[in-house]
Amino acid sequence: MAKRRIHLGLSVGSVGYHYSAWRHPDVPAGGAMDFAHYRRLAKLAEAGLFDLMFVADTASVRMLDKPESARNRIHDHVRHEPFALMAALSAITTHVGLLPTVSATYAEPYNTARAVGALDHLSRGRAAWNVVTGFCNYEAQNYGLDALPSAQTRYARAAEFIGVVNALFDSWDDNAVVRDKASGLFFDRTKMHLLKHRGEFFKVKGPLDLPPTPQRRPPLVCAGTSEESQELAAKYADMVYAGKVTLADAREYYASVKGRMARHGRRPEELLILPGVMVYVGRTRQEAQDKFDRLQDLLTDEQGLGLLMAYGLPDYSGYDLGGPVPDLPAGKEQFGQYVSEALATAKRDGMSVRQLYRMIGGGFWSLRAIGSAADIADMMEEWVHVRAADGFIFQPPCLPIAVEDFVALVVPELQRRGVYPMAYMQGTLRERLGLDRAVSRHAQVAAE
Amino acid sequence: MTGQKVPRRMRLGLSVASVGYHYIAWRLPEVSAIGSMDLQHHIRAAELAERGKMDFLFLADWASLLNLDDPRIARDCEHAQLKMDPTLVVSALATMTERVGFMPTASTTYNHPYNFARRMATIDHISGGRLGWNMVTGFNPEEALNFNHDKPVPSDARHARAGEFVQVMNGLFDSWDADALVRDKAGGIFFEYDKVHTLAHKGTHFSVLGPLDVPRPPQGRIPIITAGVSDNAMELAAQFADMSYGGQPNIEAARKYYDTVKGKLAKYGRSHDDMLMMPGIQCYLGRTQAEAEDKFARIQDLLLPRVGIGHLLLNHFPDLTGLKLDEPVPNLSMTNDMMEHRISGREPEMTLALIKRANDEKLTLRQLFDVMMCGFWSLGVIGTPKIVADMMEEWFTTGAADGFNIQPPWMPQGAEDFVSMVIPELQRRGLFRTEYEGKTLRENLGLKPVPSQYARGAAMAAE
Repeated sequence: MAKRRIHLGLSVGSVGYHYSAWRHPDVPAGGAMDFAHYRRLAKLAEAGLFDLMFVADTASVRMLDKPESARNRIHDHVRHEPFALMAALSAITTHVGLLPTVSATYAEPYNTARAVGALDHLSRGRAAWNVVTGFCNYEAQNYGLDALPSAQTRYARAAEFIGVVNALFDSWDDNAVVRDKASGLFFDRTKMHLLKHRGEFFKVKGPLDLPPTPQRRPPLVCAGTSEESQELAAKYADMVYAGKVTLADAREYYASVKGRMARHGRRPEELLILPGVMVYVGRTRQEAQDKFDRLQDLLTDEQGLGLLMAYGLPDYSGYDLGGPVPDLPAGKEQFGQYVSEALATAKRDGMSVRQLYRMIGGGFWSLRAIGSAADIADMMEEWVHVRAADGFIFQPPCLPIAVEDFVALVVPELQRRGVYPMAYMQGTLRERLGLDRAVSRHAQVAAE
Repeated sequence: MTGQKVPRRMRLGLSVASVGYHYIAWRLPEVSAIGSMDLQHHIRAAELAERGKMDFLFLADWASLLNLDDPRIARDCEHAQLKMDPTLVVSALATMTERVGFMPTASTTYNHPYNFARRMATIDHISGGRLGWNMVTGFNPEEALNFNHDKPVPSDARHARAGEFVQVMNGLFDSWDADALVRDKAGGIFFEYDKVHTLAHKGTHFSVLGPLDVPRPPQGRIPIITAGVSDNAMELAAQFADMSYGGQPNIEAARKYYDTVKGKLAKYGRSHDDMLMMPGIQCYLGRTQAEAEDKFARIQDLLLPRVGIGHLLLNHFPDLTGLKLDEPVPNLSMTNDMMEHRISGREPEMTLALIKRANDEKLTLRQLFDVMMCGFWSLGVIGTPKIVADMMEEWFTTGAADGFNIQPPWMPQGAEDFVSMVIPELQRRGLFRTEYEGKTLRENLGLKPVPSQYARGAAMAAE
């Protein structure tokens, strides 16, 4: 059986996924606000033949109500707005896909269709879009809401949002914008489609004020494990940014999402599942471990205690940090699922407070791979082979050095094994991802 | 010490609407009809503006198609209806240029201030402080229908929202003090707790907690240009704008507008120099008068009568369908249905003046199109660089303008002509810069720096 090709995305948020990334001597602490940092990452991404560059997003500065120590040691408070960043990157790249994040809860579908469409034109067919629904009250309060709407409301809105954006992408038939200099006709009204959408959340007349883009429907990315999010992905998504950290869970999730697709008239190949993975790679296992330990050792007690508080755990300062995690009442905030799991693990395994904050600081929510290039490639091949993944979103622990390591060590190993391309394939992002050409719904109707 | 008085210099923007301000610019054989969908087209425009040491590249925008329900209006023959979100275009351009500023258009009615502030602050960072904003309220009724409205949003509501929008945006820009992000690796302190500010805005249209998740933009405040001649628009401009993009076809009207807008500044605690008046100017340039006239005639020959008649309708004229190009137009009067429907933002005074002229001079339809396409709603000139420079100098020195927005009829030639022919002439006369004065758009425009509201508060408290 032929080996399955591995797809790779590169997540370029801030200066890295490890909480200490910014304190590493080789990391530009101000990188998140320095476009030169992203220029360098774009070069690396294209050198490593990544399918796409991704930037996560939340439109807020979180943890405002936390004690000072809980928030001012964390580096991801300031960022580039994703579409502005990706538009800028479109001008200085030629191959890599560009994946900004947009929240369906706080954006307008007409503006979003214009932005994704413009990015697809600017990049000549390399745009994608990651739709999220928001997860925190801080963000909601920047948009006139007292609190984050319920998951049910958010996902209902997201489904309508995506439907409207996709329909706007079909405003024009392929041959509608004729630009016929001889007759003077620029576009043919009879090949233009008004949306006249009137839904629960949006009223949009259309058409989109943009000709069909090179991909017509730039690939859509969704994430999430809830019932609602899996349904949304199965119905609409071209890629899923997955978050399972064990092989068994990842296989189950993979089967669950792909298994839902038939109900929406889709084939499993029409969706790529890409788990996030934090990779620490070295020429030897020891070197890789050292890289991880170095970042872990940059976590001070003060930073670690702050981090726990930032995630809604109690203030353990004054307790024996080498001793077991004390039983203290939790703060008013409900723990995230990940944090509850981390705390349960710590209690079960008799971890110390220090071990707990190191677990959280080291990126406890992500799949982590530490090893030689062969180890990393083994893991990736296995996950793809047993259908736990179709590829990965690489979450570099620290930028740009972790990407340099990955491109120098892991990429050639994957190429040697024949599971990764030797050069960029020509064509649009959709084509490179092996996704079907998007056909306008109006063309489909006409053909039937 | 008596320093040398800095001579007053003209400000110049290169204003681009797709592939040109002439509706059918795209039909010229040398113009790329795909043009505005191609980043290279925009790079070319930005490079031309930069070569000419112009202050900024201005990009028009609205989030809809126009007049789709009226088959008499031949929008399907125009290139400018289909366009890319200019905020993203300029973000791409920022990476390809060094000095020129950018003035993308965006509306306060169909954006949210938190989303908009973070995008604008980001682009100001990426460009190193070269971003401006053409603030519009989105008067086209079609836009409302793309953003959850059943009917057009009334002017009063749009302008009230716009005022609050700008205040929220500017407030969000001040979220982080310049020295807030210490990023002290050794001490482990990323930012200083008391140097980040929460806006906690609660107003009529918006409730925004803050802070912004982008540090203060390099310019502190993004320079704002705005247009419009309604009372609402002029008040909004006087309160918040740094520049006014006027549309006056003659010097008398421009002087009146100049005085009217500047006269409103004092009541908002602003001085006469806090606002630059920059009317639009469309010119057809030739080394000789005959060459310039040929250029204009060449593009006018491509103007389909139904396109011209449609635009006359938009400007409150009666329907002239069926009239031959060289027939004199019959005695005209302004129709009321267009006025009532307000399908155009144009002011009726201009139409009345044109109707009077058509009647007095017994203009043919072709001649009426010529007047409409050059010099109807902005200054239009067909002539040599000297004639254009003379006219600009007169406007600039006699209280009609502080600068101009150059509207090339087609791209890139219209911009090339201006940059290679008129700018050297203006420079020779000492009316325009020969080198950029500053690094940021604000500096080049000569606008005062605006300290953070929190810095100002601290300064007052210390006094």
